[in-house]
Amino acid sequence: MKRLAQRLAGPAGLTRLVCLAAVVTAVGLLPWLSGRDPALTVLRARSAEQEPTREALDAVRRDLGLDAGPLALLTGWAAALAHGDLGTSWVSGTEVLPAVTAGLQVSLGLMGAALGVAVALAATLVAPVLLRGRGSAGGLAAMLAAVPEFLLATVALLVCGVWLGWLPTSGWQGPEHLVLPALALGVPAGGLLGRLVADALPAVLGERWVELWRGAGVSGARIAAAALRRVLPPLVPQFGMAAVGLTGGAVAVETVFAVPGIGRTALGAAKSQDLPLLQGAVLALLLLGLITGAAAALLRRRLLGPALRDAGLTLPRARPARTHPAIPLALFTVLAVTIGWGVLRDPYAVDTTLRLAAPSWAHPLGTDGLGRDVLARLGHGAWATVGTAAAVCLLSLLAGLALGFLPGVAAGAADIANALPPVIVGILVAAAAGPGTGGAALAVGLISWPPLAAHAAALVREVRASAFLTAQRAIGATPWWILTRHVLPSVAAPVARHALLRLPGIALALASLGFLGLGAPPPAPEWGLLLDESRAYVERAPWAALAPAIALALLAALAVTAAAYAQGRRTSRPKEAPIHV
Amino acid sequence: MNEPLLDVRDLVVRHGTVTAVDGVSFTLAAGETLALNGPSGCGKSSTAAAVLQLRRPDAGEVRFEGRELTSLTDRELRPLRPRMQPVFQDPYGSLSPRHRIRDAVAEPLKVQGRWTTAEGPARVAELLDRVGLDPAYGDRRPHELSGGQCQRAGIARALASEPRLLVLDEPVSALDPSVRAGVLNLLADLQDELALGYLFICHDHAVVRHFADRVVELREGRVTSEWRPRSPGAAPR
Repeated sequence: MKRLAQRLAGPAGLTRLVCLAAVVTAVGLLPWLSGRDPALTVLRARSAEQEPTREALDAVRRDLGLDAGPLALLTGWAAALAHGDLGTSWVSGTEVLPAVTAGLQVSLGLMGAALGVAVALAATLVAPVLLRGRGSAGGLAAMLAAVPEFLLATVALLVCGVWLGWLPTSGWQGPEHLVLPALALGVPAGGLLGRLVADALPAVLGERWVELWRGAGVSGARIAAAALRRVLPPLVPQFGMAAVGLTGGAVAVETVFAVPGIGRTALGAAKSQDLPLLQGAVLALLLLGLITGAAAALLRRRLLGPALRDAGLTLPRARPARTHPAIPLALFTVLAVTIGWGVLRDPYAVDTTLRLAAPSWAHPLGTDGLGRDVLARLGHGAWATVGTAAAVCLLSLLAGLALGFLPGVAAGAADIANALPPVIVGILVAAAAGPGTGGAALAVGLISWPPLAAHAAALVREVRASAFLTAQRAIGATPWWILTRHVLPSVAAPVARHALLRLPGIALALASLGFLGLGAPPPAPEWGLLLDESRAYVERAPWAALAPAIALALLAALAVTAAAYAQGRRTSRPKEAPIHV
Repeated sequence: MNEPLLDVRDLVVRHGTVTAVDGVSFTLAAGETLALNGPSGCGKSSTAAAVLQLRRPDAGEVRFEGRELTSLTDRELRPLRPRMQPVFQDPYGSLSPRHRIRDAVAEPLKVQGRWTTAEGPARVAELLDRVGLDPAYGDRRPHELSGGQCQRAGIARALASEPRLLVLDEPVSALDPSVRAGVLNLLADLQDELALGYLFICHDHAVVRHFADRVVELREGRVTSEWRPRSPGAAPR
């Protein structure tokens, strides 16, 4: 109990509360934060004929309480919220709460089914490792984990729904409507769970006690159960994060399959500037993420009991599947050649005589619905996506480095950032600033720094504890000298390499925002947007949809193999100096 | 007799609720070796860190060359720090893995504003030579040297500050027995030559008996006894 109080009162607990309050305040202030005039939206929604005169707009503002200023707006919203009143929709004029609860019910059903898919998939991936007692399913699992939900959903819709015609592709009428969305949402999560367990298992199965139990004649099944019992508790927080990821993935999957869930409601509300509905839906999603995180923490406490209080139970260092550097290199080369070729072509040239043309020498990847060259759009889109991703990477590197020196503060903020999927932050930013490249970059940047900050904090701790830093103080070096000559150089280089390896993942997050219409506006050849546009004519021109899908899949594979290569290097490198205590 | 080089009175160091050093007092003259001896956890290393003001003591006085250090601010202390230098137990950990030996030895000169491009490199080579390292080793990084060579480089870095007092925190206990004698002989030679005061932290009785002029025994943060391994009338080394 005392420990709990310490946790809440310490810098991490304080920043956690401050960040949570900041997020909720931002949600409450959305109508005031919104850069686009909400009064105009409401006026248009209420009556198409009414002229947007100054008087009419002022009347709407008074009606909505927008003229009272941010503080009154926030207190009014919070007071209504405390009574369970989420307000009325600006567009339909109906109560928000019933719409939110209806959406939440649908989404919870979908997430439950997806969780079932995820657990089944994870079990399939882990079983061979557990039975053989060694090896790893990590590679395949990592690949599945990296495929973004919006890509998987689009491909599943194409293959099973449109080409094969096995399953319905939209709506929410019966159990058959559940299959494709649950698969699209559950497979990446299952890949993540499977990868975490499969990476950790070989090291645990190599521990002394396994040998001892075998020698004593304990059955394989009991050893496997004990190994699982040993592996799972420390991984529970990461399972919680996977569950949080489901809330973000639900937005994309529900949009693709036209499932009337909370995610689709939030996205639709953001696009139509129906801010009360958006506030309600985002609050519901936030609450879902926080409850999942708290449930994971509680479960871990139950599973570990006193071990958590004393020294904490740590796993042996995971031995992830090593990747040969040739694989990421080959993927990178294929992508680079495609992009380089495409960049040399014109992505905006419209040729209506050549609409939806099949691949030919003139158009190696065919043309889209306006007769524009798909290869050219792919190449230029990569430039935009990867360029933005690089800027986001740099920003999160700087944030990670700065916060690495304040581990107490960073830990609290990281908890909140980890509970927010990029899509939901993207929706909030888009509602406030309007959709655009800058908003998407801000949204991804706001939540991509925690792993970098954690890495930097670990390195700072290691350097600060070393004797050579003590020697620096002893020779009379100033704190500035020690920071700039010793601590920063030791920390910055490894963290910068780490940030670089996160670039493909960040590009995918940006593409998923683009796919949902939260990124660059339509004429831009952004990859997510390309995939979204091509969905409309996928039956007549599958190559136009396949090209961006394949490019995104390559990017996902690059993200996984590059990270695995880096991780292998990090874990296999010998320690630079033996430590005598 | 003149004022001692180091005069420690009623030193107290607490780690949270644990009192690691509980009222320790001793003096040390220039050119003298005082050993702090005792089992692990008796407060030897905490005393060393508190004497060097690397960890500020919770109570007591540390008088060094006649100046009281515990009341000084970090800024006031900085110009005095070079006069007392530590040598650590872990020969590898005490040198930055990223820097060449030459840079590590040059750093005190640079920090203390005594580096010139004309004379600096020669001074570094001289220091490396003085501790028995071929100056060619200056191009290497710590992981390319043996433990004994690293410890010699650590001593060269300490000497670069031109100290009066060396605080030797178990300087040979991480080394192979075969190279211990070499490092101890080097330390003895340096003391004779430069009249350095040594505060020697050690738990090895054989080494203490051979190396120290006086021994202070510590148990659970308190001084239990003080003895001289050699009779006062014995010939100086």
